[in-house]
Amino acid sequence: MSESKDITGSPDAKSKGNGRLSAVKEMPFFVKCALFWLVFIVSAAIYTRLDRLFGQALPLQDPFYQGFLFGGASPVEGPSLDHLLGTDILSRDNLSRLLHGAWVSLAVAITVVSFGIVFGGLLGAFVGYARGRWETLVMGIMDVVLAFPPLVLLLALVAIYKVRSLPVIALVFGVLGIPTYVRIARANTLGVASREFVQAAEAIGTKRIWILFREIIPNILPSLFAYALINAGFVIVIEGTLSYLGLSVQIPEPTWGNMINEGRRDIRRTILPIFWPGLFLTLTVVSLNMLGDWFQQRVAIRSSAL
Amino acid sequence: MGKILAARLARLVATLFAVSLLTFLLVEQLPGDPVTALLPPEALHDLETMERIRTELRLDDPALVRYGRWVTDALQGDLGKSYITDQRVADAIRDRIPVTMELALLATVIAAVLAIPIGAFSAYREGGRFDRVMSVFTTASLSIPAFVAAIFFIWLFTLKFNWLPSTGWNRITDKGLLANLKTAILPASALALAPLAINARLIRADMIGTLKEDYILSARAKGLRSRYILMRHALRPSSLTAITIFGLQFGALIGGTVVIETIFALPGLGTRLISGIYQRDVTMIQGITLFVATVYVVVNLLVDLLYLLLDPRIRRQ
Repeated sequence: MSESKDITGSPDAKSKGNGRLSAVKEMPFFVKCALFWLVFIVSAAIYTRLDRLFGQALPLQDPFYQGFLFGGASPVEGPSLDHLLGTDILSRDNLSRLLHGAWVSLAVAITVVSFGIVFGGLLGAFVGYARGRWETLVMGIMDVVLAFPPLVLLLALVAIYKVRSLPVIALVFGVLGIPTYVRIARANTLGVASREFVQAAEAIGTKRIWILFREIIPNILPSLFAYALINAGFVIVIEGTLSYLGLSVQIPEPTWGNMINEGRRDIRRTILPIFWPGLFLTLTVVSLNMLGDWFQQRVAIRSSAL
Repeated sequence: MGKILAARLARLVATLFAVSLLTFLLVEQLPGDPVTALLPPEALHDLETMERIRTELRLDDPALVRYGRWVTDALQGDLGKSYITDQRVADAIRDRIPVTMELALLATVIAAVLAIPIGAFSAYREGGRFDRVMSVFTTASLSIPAFVAAIFFIWLFTLKFNWLPSTGWNRITDKGLLANLKTAILPASALALAPLAINARLIRADMIGTLKEDYILSARAKGLRSRYILMRHALRPSSLTAITIFGLQFGALIGGTVVIETIFALPGLGTRLISGIYQRDVTMIQGITLFVATVYVVVNLLVDLLYLLLDPRIRRQ
């Protein structure tokens, strides 16, 4: 990517600043846009939750209000001042449904990422450092889960056990996401464990559990985070796919996937009710990928300087 | 070489055993009477049928015995019978696998054929205009969910331009290759977007490394033409990585076609899996899951072996 150039070109620029703000400042323009979009989506998700908490007192249309039944709007309107992005086939406000739908995608993605980093990271670091029989066993189990194409195992689980509520779906996604994190954590641990500072700590007789938490885990976290960003995008696509098939959170609760499914019925008349959730999905995934790429490059540079 | 082969095969058998156990447990762990899970809801009042199926499947045997029987049957190509549609699972798979295979293969080919020139020229003029445009393109095509791309393709090529059909499938054997491609090209393109981006990026990164090698410099010094150097000297060592990735993608695509087949209403394995899910056809879901996972594992092993075969450095070890 072209953005990589100005990062590699000025490695000293990083060391000057401290704190997180300077990291944002030296982001290439497109990565800044990506970050901005993600902040917007996360705020939207939180805002819509608050809106529900306060009984829809905040300024936003009701995502379930059907204008053609109760007056105020007709199905598949184009954009207007009342409905900034138009209405869907049941004459509900598109913008409001999109913002409410962000919650499902984000909740699933955040669950997967935190499960992956906490459980997968710990497990991978532990077996990577301890080695031996535990390593063989744990990696064997992870290999079996990874032997399934991800979507197919999810489909089978969701279908057979009739999982349809958000917490359970997030849980299933979260558990199935762990193996890759274990692999990455283990691979990185193997590298870090052979470094001088770990050998030095071992030589002066530091307890192994202490080395694990103070020397190894802090050093594998950046690469786990970099993967987590890209993985979050992947998870959002898979959730969208399940939603599209009607196998995730059920209508009328809006998700980007089920909005696309509902819009498909009227595709001959207009593409707009599909276009918006498709755009939101794509922009979110693009942003996560760009931010992940950028972060990965920074991690690679930093660890090569270590 | 023989030693590696034996180790890989042992690993394959172990993985397949675990995969089959997990697939079996998937259904075994269902709460409640297994017969009620197998039958359509309207058959549940019919106690006689339920009892007949219970004895037919010998459901009162211990789970381990039933697992053994299930695996033995599966090895002989019998994955049981659906009690919803009365179809044998193995027959359903045999009917539908050609469509899925062709889609996965076509998508792999599209992704490979387009990615090689894109990756090679991006690497050749690293940071140039073509490279920057392609970097935007690959980021986009990596990020658009396949089902969104598929629906967009239908809207664009069927509804707006009316060039290609949006549903249905022409078999090669019935209507010939051209008619077949007409129905296959849109779904395959939608499937190819993400692997295309991944391939282009990997080939680019790989070739940037290769182009810095001394033998490229000496080829230049000899006065060979750039295109010749790019294709013969630089692409060749990179092709090993590429082939591995193409293979792995083919395996992954067999699972990935599920949604795309549903969107285009193609008579493939994925559509059958989804209709099985909507009907809660547990035997069908279980059988197709086992089959797809097996193909995935075996294809990945073959790719591994192919890699060994192609790279003399690894073979000699």
